[in-house]
Amino acid sequence: MVSQKGDILERRFYFLAGDALSNSTIGMASAWLATSIVDPTWHILTAMLTGMAAGMGLSLILMPLFVSLFGAMEVMLPVMLTAMLAGMVFGMLDAMHVQTFLEVLLGGGLVGILVLMLTYAADAGIHSKNS
Amino acid sequence: MDESTKRKWDFSSSFYDLMAYGPERRWAPDKRNLFANMQGKVLFVAMGTGQDIPFFPPGRDIVGIDISPQMLARARTRAANYVGLLDLQVMDIHKLEFPDHSFDQVVTSCTFCSVPNPIAGLTALRRVLKAGGMLYMFEHTGSHVFPFNLMLDVMTPLWKSIGPEMNRDTVANVKKAGFEIQQVNNIYLDVVKTIIATSPA
Repeated sequence: MVSQKGDILERRFYFLAGDALSNSTIGMASAWLATSIVDPTWHILTAMLTGMAAGMGLSLILMPLFVSLFGAMEVMLPVMLTAMLAGMVFGMLDAMHVQTFLEVLLGGGLVGILVLMLTYAADAGIHSKNS
Repeated sequence: MDESTKRKWDFSSSFYDLMAYGPERRWAPDKRNLFANMQGKVLFVAMGTGQDIPFFPPGRDIVGIDISPQMLARARTRAANYVGLLDLQVMDIHKLEFPDHSFDQVVTSCTFCSVPNPIAGLTALRRVLKAGGMLYMFEHTGSHVFPFNLMLDVMTPLWKSIGPEMNRDTVANVKKAGFEIQQVNNIYLDVVKTIIATSPA
């Protein structure tokens, strides 16, 4: 009984940590890629769309690694959203002013964690409707 | 035999187990709970590389089918360790070679994201299922919730050449094939779910 409980807790921690790692990494990478591509002279809308496309493209390349370790839909959905949003936001910001590398990484990681929390909230909402 | 589907899954068999480690570990408790319902003569559709076999309750009488010989070749090692009757056969769900009403239950696991014609496939399952027989499904489907529905629509064309379609309405397809839905239980969002249905008498 105790070992079964321990196994459930260990499993829960593994996936929580995996979700956080996947989303923060993809958020950072997408934000970095968006700011690497976008030039501060670009129009804000072009920068936003380019950042979004870059983020989503990058997530498709990196996603299989995280999927294979931490889950299918539970990884794919938040990670794609993170990549899209981090790419959009940081592409747009880069068209407005220059950001430091650290700002981009921290901001991208934060987008990933926020998206993950919103996804958990949506999941909890759907389950509460079920019950 | 649908040759293009067979080729797709033969190709995917080489990296399928690598990709399935995380998903299978995550879904293990829910699959175990669903498969615990297995009783009587059971048809398991889309056996793949046999990742689900460790979740089968022991001592059952199961026929497992898959369209891909390469997938089943990998499944045979796991099948050999199963304590019970487990017969694996290469077969296309659209052309089931079993007599009418020959199974008490049909079980699927991440199957109807990939069957080329899901309603025809489900109708074929109803044919081989006894009247009143149970259909147990563990499936991922499309979503009705924004922005997840948008994400799944975007991913589907990118993914389906090597794997499943992400945006199918499998619950609606089960109803269209003539089954009566008994229970739908969402496991992750409204995307990963178990569906329990019966074949009407």
